[in-house]
Amino acid sequence: MTTKAAERKKLHGTGLRYWVKLRADIKRDRWLYLLLLPGVIYFIVFKYLPLFGIVIAFENYVPYSGVLGSQWVGLKWFQYFFKFPAWVTYLTNTLILSFMNIIFYFPAPIILALMLNEMRSLRYKKLLQTLLYVPHFISIVIVVSITFVMFGPSGIVYKGTEMILGHPINYMGSPDTFRWMIIGQTIWKETGWGTIIFLAALTNVDTQLYEAAMVDGAGRLRRLWHITLPAIRSTIVLMLILRMGSMLDTGYDHLILMANPLNRKASQTLDVFVYQQGIQQGQFSYASAIGLMKSIVSVTLVVTSNKIAHLMGEQGLY
Amino acid sequence: MKKLVALFLALVMTLSLASFAAAEEPFEITVMLPEFVVDVDFAAENNPILQYIEEKTGVKLNILWGPNSTYGDLINTTLADKNPPMIMAVTDARGPSIIDSARAGAFWDLTDYIADAESYPYLAAGTAGVYRNISVDGRIYGIFRSRAYPRAGIYYRCDIAKEVGFDKEVKTIADLTELAEKLAGYSKDTYALNMCSYTAGTINVITVAFGAPNNWGVDADGNVYPAHKSPAYLEGLNWLRHLYEIGGIDPNFAQISTSDWDNIERTGKAFMRFDCLDNAHRQQEWFENNAGTTEQIFQTVGPVAKEDGSVTVWPQNNGFAGEIMITKSVSEADLPKVLKFLDWCNSPEGQTTLNAGIEGVTWWVNEDGYRYVPEDKTDEASNNSKMYLHDLNQLGMGVPGNLENPPAIVNRGVTQLRERYNALNLELAPYAVSDPCFPFVSETAVAFGTQLNQIISDAAVQYIAGLIDEAGLQAAWEDWAAQGGDMMTEEYNAAYHAALAE
Repeated sequence: MTTKAAERKKLHGTGLRYWVKLRADIKRDRWLYLLLLPGVIYFIVFKYLPLFGIVIAFENYVPYSGVLGSQWVGLKWFQYFFKFPAWVTYLTNTLILSFMNIIFYFPAPIILALMLNEMRSLRYKKLLQTLLYVPHFISIVIVVSITFVMFGPSGIVYKGTEMILGHPINYMGSPDTFRWMIIGQTIWKETGWGTIIFLAALTNVDTQLYEAAMVDGAGRLRRLWHITLPAIRSTIVLMLILRMGSMLDTGYDHLILMANPLNRKASQTLDVFVYQQGIQQGQFSYASAIGLMKSIVSVTLVVTSNKIAHLMGEQGLY
Repeated sequence: MKKLVALFLALVMTLSLASFAAAEEPFEITVMLPEFVVDVDFAAENNPILQYIEEKTGVKLNILWGPNSTYGDLINTTLADKNPPMIMAVTDARGPSIIDSARAGAFWDLTDYIADAESYPYLAAGTAGVYRNISVDGRIYGIFRSRAYPRAGIYYRCDIAKEVGFDKEVKTIADLTELAEKLAGYSKDTYALNMCSYTAGTINVITVAFGAPNNWGVDADGNVYPAHKSPAYLEGLNWLRHLYEIGGIDPNFAQISTSDWDNIERTGKAFMRFDCLDNAHRQQEWFENNAGTTEQIFQTVGPVAKEDGSVTVWPQNNGFAGEIMITKSVSEADLPKVLKFLDWCNSPEGQTTLNAGIEGVTWWVNEDGYRYVPEDKTDEASNNSKMYLHDLNQLGMGVPGNLENPPAIVNRGVTQLRERYNALNLELAPYAVSDPCFPFVSETAVAFGTQLNQIISDAAVQYIAGLIDEAGLQAAWEDWAAQGGDMMTEEYNAAYHAALAE
């Protein structure tokens, strides 16, 4: 960090000189800066200004009294959350789902991208890619409905397992199967779409390397291992860091759609809790407090994993 | 620049003209209501019922519909709005966000207005006890939507019961068990008891019937305790568990959506239900209108004796289902106008219009002076009802009781059932058990109520379905206590004693 800051000092000078230089830069590249403007405004209006709303996490916020008029309660909601052991359940459920996601879902697009990369017929590859993107555009509500039809008590999979095993497996109504169903649905829905970024990274691989390797007698697996994978390594690390940032995000819509009294033990995550408290119970302050805690943990995770990436010699996120 | 100023001035002038013109027009009231009818859109324009209301009251209604399944979410988000609708039908009147908002002054305090019997005769005629039940810190912030006190109970398909050899009145718990067992044996594809993922109501009815308190009880020492601590609660669950074991309940009931609850009965998949008793005549009506049924096929269960001979009890409703609240979008000067309109909604004319529509559109009058729909107009009436009346009955309060005029006549079984329902209300009233903690607010319930209730009801469901045994049930209850249940009990206890001391 310090070397970087020093570099910047060298480049731009200090204090006044820095600002003078910046003004000159802006004047010179004014059209480029103009192009940047909409993006900056977007972030200020939609990402930075709403941050002031965080203040309600420390209030007993009542919409009618407004953000300024509501009673200040300090850390009450944070203490509330840890007062009862329920938070352990929410946290474990969240973490289990997240780890399962990283272990089972995260490699899926990489593997698929590598497989697509090995395709010989370009036309077939393009067709396949388009088809693989389709599930991403299907609403999660539809995906859950399809699952219900197939895995539900009158569904083909349910009946099938009953025939094979002699007893049915209650896919939709048990905490044990719940997580696997969620991961399965995620893999089905998002794997194809997830390949995009890796395929883009793969196009940058110098084809001469492959030719050289082939001349040296390297087989397909060897080429994959020594050329393709190292080429997309930094992309994989980048995606992993980003994934770390959303470690505590499970989303709520998917889980709520799949939840019922029989599998609730597994479906109660932090996001679901925030939804229940905030929207269903109207406890905006309490929900914001939990959301804020989640965000703090997420930022910490991103920073730490980025550090680790640096240590491993990768470029990382920043 | 000059052009811009001119444009702005022109705009201001048109706006002021428009507001000047509006003074001559009828008073417009925006109302937010839950929507149940989903297959036909509400006709906001050229709606004869709205025109009739405007003609009678000088009020032009502008209605915002929110789908019933997410109505609670919508209320919470609407409360955050700077200009909420003037009138809101609030379904969860005891929800923490409603109580907080009422305390903060988001709604008009109506306490003094409803005492004014001269200006608002119908609103003032409401039962004081029910007004007390919806009050917040002793002040009344809404007009309750009246419901009978003993409303929950048991009803069943009496024609199927006859077929399986049960042809008598249910007088004891043993009769009830016999009936359920016989109904369970009707066919392989049908079930005795109609249950869905919403189980709290069903469990409440059966456990209270066995003698458990309604959510909260008061023990011999005068302390508050939760219903599941009562041995009768387990007896009730055992009854359901037994029925489940013999195939009397759909094994997948926990995954059945609440919106399918009625359909299960309508498609003849289950024959018995523990729910609002008035649903019996609504189901009967559906069968008469859609399946050509001519006989009474539903029967409601009256007071039932337990093994020791004592008469069983029923969970008592709190006398209302939601309330109509007036937001601060209404100015103080306009408040009497809005109240006058709500008062009209409770008049015989208002009740008839909101519940049934208007003559010649959704109903006609027969020679005896009763409201009815002629044979040849059933399709038209049903269509008009969906399009023009839609769910306007959600605005109906019935504060002074049912005053509909002319009264409804429905041929065949419905009338009988409806009369029986009214009679049962009186008959069951002495046996109804109320929830002693209902008027109180517990901080823990506010923060964790949803999750805590879920622990209890999820465990009950798993127990009924045979997934856990009594030890598992016990473990869940201990979990409940540790997660804040004990704290909630203490808070309710303190509030209960404080109220007693007053």
